[in-house]
Amino acid sequence: MTILIIAAKDLRQRLRDKSAIVLGFLAPVAIAWLMSAAFGGVGGFHLEAAVVDQDGGDIAAAFTAMLADDDLADLVTLHPVSGVDDARAKLADGEVSAVFVLPAGFSAAVRGTAAVPVTVLGTVDEPVARQVGVAVAEAFVARFNAVRLSVVTALAAGADPATVADLAAEAARLDLPEYLVDTPIGSRQLSAISYFGPGMGIFFAMFAIGFTARGYHAEREAGTLDRLLAAPVRRGSVLAGKSLAAFAYAMASLTTMAVVTTLVFDAYWGPLPAAAALIAAMALAMAALTALVISLTRNQRQAEGLASMLTFGLVLLGGNFVFVSVAPAALRGLALFTPNGWALRGFTDLATGAPATAALLPVAAIVGFAAATAVIATAATRWRRP
Amino acid sequence: MIPLTIAGLELGRLIRDRTAVFFMVLLPTVIILVIGATMADAGQLRVGIVAGESTVLSADLVRELRSMPGVDVQEVADEDTARTRLRRGELDAAVVVPVGLDAALRSGATAAIPLLGAGAESSRQAALSAVSGTLARHATRVRAALFAAERFGDLDSRLATASAAQNAMPSVGVRAETVDAGSDFLPRGFGSSAPTMLLLFVFINSLAGGAAIIQARTLGIHQRVMAAPVRPRHIVVGETLAYLLIGLLQSALIVAIGAVLFGVDWGDPLAAGALILVWALVGTGTGVLSGTLFRTAEQATAIGPAVGIALGMLGGAMWPLEIVPPPMRTIGHLTPHAWAVDGWVEVLSRGGGLFDIGLELAVLGGFAAVLLTTASLRLRRRLTA
Repeated sequence: MTILIIAAKDLRQRLRDKSAIVLGFLAPVAIAWLMSAAFGGVGGFHLEAAVVDQDGGDIAAAFTAMLADDDLADLVTLHPVSGVDDARAKLADGEVSAVFVLPAGFSAAVRGTAAVPVTVLGTVDEPVARQVGVAVAEAFVARFNAVRLSVVTALAAGADPATVADLAAEAARLDLPEYLVDTPIGSRQLSAISYFGPGMGIFFAMFAIGFTARGYHAEREAGTLDRLLAAPVRRGSVLAGKSLAAFAYAMASLTTMAVVTTLVFDAYWGPLPAAAALIAAMALAMAALTALVISLTRNQRQAEGLASMLTFGLVLLGGNFVFVSVAPAALRGLALFTPNGWALRGFTDLATGAPATAALLPVAAIVGFAAATAVIATAATRWRRP
Repeated sequence: MIPLTIAGLELGRLIRDRTAVFFMVLLPTVIILVIGATMADAGQLRVGIVAGESTVLSADLVRELRSMPGVDVQEVADEDTARTRLRRGELDAAVVVPVGLDAALRSGATAAIPLLGAGAESSRQAALSAVSGTLARHATRVRAALFAAERFGDLDSRLATASAAQNAMPSVGVRAETVDAGSDFLPRGFGSSAPTMLLLFVFINSLAGGAAIIQARTLGIHQRVMAAPVRPRHIVVGETLAYLLIGLLQSALIVAIGAVLFGVDWGDPLAAGALILVWALVGTGTGVLSGTLFRTAEQATAIGPAVGIALGMLGGAMWPLEIVPPPMRTIGHLTPHAWAVDGWVEVLSRGGGLFDIGLELAVLGGFAAVLLTTASLRLRRRLTA
């Protein structure tokens, strides 16, 4: 009961402080809105391309027709250009991201044995566009190269050189024996807001650690804590009460973030019970971290410093500021040493359509972290007791 | 002399504060490392390969796929792992080499190779195109080997012949050329994270640093100092100078760490120096202003970083404004951050010098002048009130 009274008093005090309201509720929503606005227009890949046909032959025309085909309409949009210079200018302006230059003699070379290459022009800012352009052109010329290679291989195996024309005609009738099949795995697409919503929510809720720890030392320095301890209240109860206040503040902050981003920005935090379990586990970890900071520090300044370092250290390693999935494997591994890294793993899984049970392991890992932190905090409190 | 003494004392106080040193040096360094390492390969296609059985034709395909140019190819143990990694966004696509591929090809059948993808259809199409170019090279080789083997038998040795011929014979090639147009983005990796974090942290540190002025005010230090023959303008100049020195010191440390630890090329020294100086002035104005705007030191240290992060996001210090919708780009340029990032892009990605960033320097100078004037007037009023 004492713990609850202390926690309630602490929360009332906290909510009278404008900074706590700004950091716990307004700032994360504002930042989430910024992220949503910034990434709202970022869609999938689309190749804005142009063809410079210096050949004028039938195979060059077939190449242009292939790019303009309905099958590639989702991937490629062709822009008209008057020549190479115009195409280069449009590339520099960012109007197109890849240009196919089909040189004079291209159609004749494809039928014969000469090597006249298609050139794909791209820019440094869009390497994927250049790469996709090259791949599209390679797939097109592959069938002609297959005819050549088939004839050369047959000749090397002992075919009569006099039958080259027949061999070539026969090889031209054959299709390539392998093709790729686009196989969507049917998961939900992870939107920026569904990742950075929880990411920013956790980051700002973690400021509760510093607030609460500083508040504890402020009371100690002002002597109110000593007066409290004169009553039949144990020091552990005070610590537990303060931690409970941090837990409630973090729960309220994260829940607000989840509700607002879901309703206003169309974020998806996952099935309700799983998302709630992750939020509660994360709030528990923050309460344990608050107890740890209080137990390891002697004054407000130390508490503020340690809390800030812990907060920023954890959010950096855990991936709250970067989309951890695109990070190198080593950084992805490091993220799983932090409770927030596990929470983001859980929210990512849930947001991409994994079943609610996918949150079990992250919740267990976060609760384990909280328990270990609480044990260290308790040991430190006993050890430092005067 | 008095302003210099005040500035020196403020600087000394800061250097003794371990938390401040953490925020000034260690935190930016770690963030430069994390963001730089994360974004180093951003934009590169990441394709997983689930290798099927280790038969001749399957192994040949896996070898070909492993050498896909410009693609980050990663081996994946099985299809379930590939699906999980795709869902999480760790891969853009995954090729599953089907079991029985070898037998199917030898029998003359056409084989479908699944390319698993999780993103939007257009993103999957991009991966599909990139992988199909490489697959076509393998299919060409298998086609030629099958063609010869139908006539003379012994597919495996025909495959070896076709491989050798494919590398040697003139074929209709595709070559890529990068047009020499200046980049609109900062250089990848640390070349991007170091200058943007310099902007972000000098600004945030200044904003949060307003707490020192508030503390001095609430503790009555300024009043006590003015009991000596010290005029309010001495304190205003001293505090302003202290913030400028702190901003410049932090910038110098980040530049040095970026160059030494992360190999960042900071471009033309004169242009880079001008950008750093004018940004430190913007930070100074912001810091002193924050010292007069916030009521308590706690507000400055708590709300300052949140405001700094938000402005950094708006102004392109957290992600490039090139990727956001045009209205957001326009709004972003209401912050000094966007102009500073534009200046760094010119200097670091296009080899620009002092005159190439004239507009950016002028706009930033304008921001600094307005901020410094407002901040000085407010501080002076508070001191004389």
